[in-house]
Order: sequence, then C-alpha cells, then structure tokens
Amino acid sequence: MVETSGDIVKGVGRCMPNRTRLINYYWQRTRRNKLAVFGLAFIIFLIALAAIGPLFTLDPTEANFEETNMPPVRFTIEQSVYNIETDDFTTTKISGTWKHPLGTDSKGRDMLAMIVSGARVSLLVGLIATGIAIILGTIIGVVSAYLGGWVDNALMRFTDVMMTFPFFLLLVLIVFIFGPSLAFIVLAIGLTGWTGIARLIRSESLSLRTREFVVAAKALGASDNRVVFRHLIPNVISLIIIMATLSIPGVILAEAALSFIGLGDPTVPSWGIILESGQHTLETAWWVAVEPGIMLFLTVLAFNFLGDGLRDAFDPKSNV
Amino acid sequence: MRKSWLSDYIVKRIIYSIIIAWGILTITFILVRVGPNSPADKYLANIAARGGDPAQVTAAVEARYGLDKPIYVQYFNYMGNLFRGNLGWSFSTSMPVSELIKTHWIYSFQLIFLSSLFAAFLGILIGIYSAVKQYTKTDYAFTFLSFIGISIPNFWLGIMLILIFSVKFGLFKTYYDTTLPLFSLDNLKALVLPVITLGTGMLAGYVRYTRSAMLDNLKKAFVTTARAKGLPERTVIGKHVFRNALLPLVTIIMFDLGSIVFGGAYLTEIIFGIPGLGQISFNAIFANDYPVVVAVTLIGTFMVLLVNLATDISYTYLDPRIRYG
Repeated sequence: MVETSGDIVKGVGRCMPNRTRLINYYWQRTRRNKLAVFGLAFIIFLIALAAIGPLFTLDPTEANFEETNMPPVRFTIEQSVYNIETDDFTTTKISGTWKHPLGTDSKGRDMLAMIVSGARVSLLVGLIATGIAIILGTIIGVVSAYLGGWVDNALMRFTDVMMTFPFFLLLVLIVFIFGPSLAFIVLAIGLTGWTGIARLIRSESLSLRTREFVVAAKALGASDNRVVFRHLIPNVISLIIIMATLSIPGVILAEAALSFIGLGDPTVPSWGIILESGQHTLETAWWVAVEPGIMLFLTVLAFNFLGDGLRDAFDPKSNV
Repeated sequence: MRKSWLSDYIVKRIIYSIIIAWGILTITFILVRVGPNSPADKYLANIAARGGDPAQVTAAVEARYGLDKPIYVQYFNYMGNLFRGNLGWSFSTSMPVSELIKTHWIYSFQLIFLSSLFAAFLGILIGIYSAVKQYTKTDYAFTFLSFIGISIPNFWLGIMLILIFSVKFGLFKTYYDTTLPLFSLDNLKALVLPVITLGTGMLAGYVRYTRSAMLDNLKKAFVTTARAKGLPERTVIGKHVFRNALLPLVTIIMFDLGSIVFGGAYLTEIIFGIPGLGQISFNAIFANDYPVVVAVTLIGTFMVLLVNLATDISYTYLDPRIRYG
C-alpha cells in the first residue's frame, strides 16, 4: 500500500502551484509541439549569435573596395569590370570565398558580420520594446479593471484612440518628428504597442476580480496592492507570456520596416537597413537583399511557432 | 420599440466616434508641437549660407505659420483648419496638401481594394476547405503555409518577387508604370506583384481565422440538426456553418485594415514605386515636408475610424442577436 500512497502524494504534488513543477508541466506540453521546439531552438541560436557572434566575425562597418559584390560561397557571378588599359569592359567570373561566406555588399563589407550585428539590433529592439509595451499594457489593463469607474472609462477611451491609429503610420509620424535614434525607435514602438495587451489584460482581470479567491482575499483584509500583485497579475502571467512571444515578431518587423524606409538609426546596421541597400543592387548583388530577409523571416516564424505552441500548452482546454 | 433603440445606438456610436476623432487630432497636435523640429529649420541652412540672421528668419517663419501665438490659439487654428478641410501647404511639391492627396489617393485605393479582394476571396475558400477536411494532409499543408504567409515580411516578399519575376525572368516591370490608364488590363498586370506582396499576409491570416471560426461552428448543435434533417452537406456548410462563421470574420478583416493593411500598403507602394499616399509620405519624409506626413497618418487613422463605425452599425442589421443597451 506504500506505493499507492506514494502515487497519491505524487498526484497531489502535480496540482500544487509549485513553480518548478508547473514550469516543467508546461514545458512537457510545449515540447509535444515540434514546431514550437524548432522555434525555441532557433531563438536560442539567435540569442547566442547576437551575444557572442560579433567576437568571431569581421568588422561589419569596414568597407573594402577591392572586394565589392562578392557572392556567397559556392555561388559564381559574372561581373563587368572597366579596364583602363584596354579602355573596355571585361567580363570576369567571381566566386564566393570562405573569407566572406555570405559574400560582400557594394562597399565590400562582409555580409556575415553585418547579419550577425543586425541580429543584435533586431533582438534588442524586439525584447526591450515588447518589454515596455507589456509592462505598460499590464499596468493600464489591471488598473483599469481594478479601479473601474471614471479611471477605467478614461483609460479605455484613450486606448480606443491609440488603437484607431494604424500602428505603422503612427510610428512613421513619431520617428519622423523626433528623429531616428535607436533608443527612440525602441521607446516609440513600446509606447504605441501596448493597446491590445491592455485590453486583453483588462478583460481577463475583470473576470478574475469577481472570482471567489479574490473576493476571499479581500474579505480577509488584503490591501489593493496585495490583491493586484499576489492574485491578479500571477493569474494573467501565462497570458502575458503568450502575448509577449506573439508581439515580438511584429516589433522586429516594425523596426526593420522603419529602417527600410530610411527612418532607421543610420549608425546601426540593422537587417532593415541592409535590406534597403540590397534593394538597389538586385541586378548586381541579389544576396544583399536575400540574406537579411531570410533571417527576418526565420526569426518571425520562430517566434510565431513558439507563441502558438505556448498558447496551446497554457490552454487547459486543449489536449496537446 | 426595436427601431428606437437601434437609432439611439447609432446616434451614440456616432457621437462616440466624434470624441475619438477629437482625441486623434489632439494627440497628433501634441506630437507635432512637442517635436524638436520647427518649420523654420529648412530655411535656416540656406539663410545662414547667405550670411542672414537665423533668429530673424526663425521669427519670420514662425509668424507666417502662426507659431508665435499662444499654444491654445494654435490649437484652435489647427482644429479650425482641419475642420474646413485645409490640411496645410506642401512646400516640397508647392501645392496644398489636399490637392496632393486628391491626385494620389486612387493609387492607394486600387492597391488596397484589389489586395483585400484577393486575400478575402482566396483566404475564405481555403479556410473553409481546411476546416471541412480537418486533420488531412491538405489541411496540414495549408496550415503550415499560412504560418509562412503570416511570418514573411511583406517588404521582403515584394523584393523577392521583383528579383524572381522581374529581374530573372523579365515577366513584369520592376517599377509601376504611372502612365497606364487606371481601368486597363495593363494596369491590372502591373498590379499583380504588388497585390501578391500586400495580399499574402492578409490571405494567410484569413485562412487561419476562417478555419478556426468554421471549426467552432461545426461542433454546434444546429449543425447536427441540419444534418439530421437530411440537408445536403453543401447546404450545411455553406448556409449554416459559414453564415455563422462570417460575423467574427468580418470583424477581423475590418480590424486588419487598420493594423496591417495601411502599413503594408505604405511599404508596398515604396517598393514598387506606386505613387499612392504611402509614396508621397515617404518622399515628404526626405524633404522634411511636415504637413504631408501628418496628413497621410491622419487620413489612414480616419479611414480606420470610419470603417469601425460602419462595421458596428452594419452589425445591428446583420446579426439580430446583437442587442445594445
């Protein structure tokens, strides 16, 4: 009978809100989704690339006019070069070398180095701007739901106004007015991207507010602070994690798009800026536009896969 | 009885939209006024080069734009001008901003209209098919493809389409030809790549939303009833399930218009050189032509506001189950 009681204890343990066990439980559920695991793996790879990659690559800003428009390894292109002595164009074949595995751009800068430092920019922008948006959205959502009355009314009307602005057009206007520095772009994305989160958190908190455990906590004399931080926020945390994962790709794309239209920080080689310069050299050096785009695409795909997997894992109704 | 609460609701909804519009204009005003730039900046370099006095120039320009008046007077002037449809003067093109918009809006409209049509039509068809054939290989393939469609950055997709179809195969021009008459086959052909560029993300979204909305409704009791009555499957899916899935879908399509479509159209116009509102805003950014950039953002925002209003009002007719207090 000892074994049975052991099982019972195990079963009880499963239901207890033990933090590591809960994380483990959700991880088990997420792991069953192969695409989500791929997403997570790619994100970890990207973080590693952004963190230590620049130590191993060449200087991304160093121009070298001896080696312009070199194709990636295994690719060969024909290039017309003007020859002063014969006063004629000679066609030469250029093959990619291992010195520049991803080729070089029209200024001879190493593409690999630029891609790696671009990863740093995109991830930093994605994580910090999403962080700002999530914190702002959560505060506004919870405060709105918890205080109710005219505060709720005012905050939600303000949210409505902000939501009516098309996200990208508002961003263009703000960055145009205040100038394109990376810190400001991050701030602008964070300060405009909180609206959807605030609404979701508010509606979730509204339904939580009337639940027995919150009512009980209040009846026991818990302060507002305690109810909000101990009861409301921990219960919407899974929602926050999902929202964060799913909003990061939008933020990364927004920064890339801003850079692409020339509203990026010109001192920082982000994927959007490389892509923009590649657009003008499609006929001579297609890889300059292709490579940063593939990275952007894979990054967005990875976060979408992970976010989707997490949503299923956190949803008690779904049987993954 | 029914008529009266309905019109009450519509009146309320319109008043509410006006309040939101006021909020939008006020926030824009604050943004522009708080910004570090002054309209005088663009003259300063010029004047300084000729040895003029910068302070004098700044004062003159600010007087011309009314910036020397107290802030509340500026605010009322700004509101009054917008109310009369005066969006300011575009100095980089030397014409009123409203004129500029009048000549260019059609290009944005045709792009957005055709892309939405393409995305909604195909997206809904694929979504229905996917839901009816749930868990088959085709369903998995469409679901996976829709993931890719949502994740692909649309400005990159546009460049890739140009690279493959224009540069490699020479099937299309790399740039949009503005001399083409609007209602012609050539114009339609010129819009193929831009429509795919803008439409793919929307299409993928609609596939996912349609599929999940259809699946939600397929499990409902009225579907079982319809089948038990012996209705053909086509009628069950088309008339019973799809009708009910349509409403949440319309909401999402309308919401997308604001969040994705305008931003996407802005980028698509720049990539293909389509002279729509995105393109004129883009040009204005480099010319530091304030009123144009502000006007394009405001127009996009007011389109969203109007579409939201129209959607909400049309719901009261479309879905009799909705009751508003």
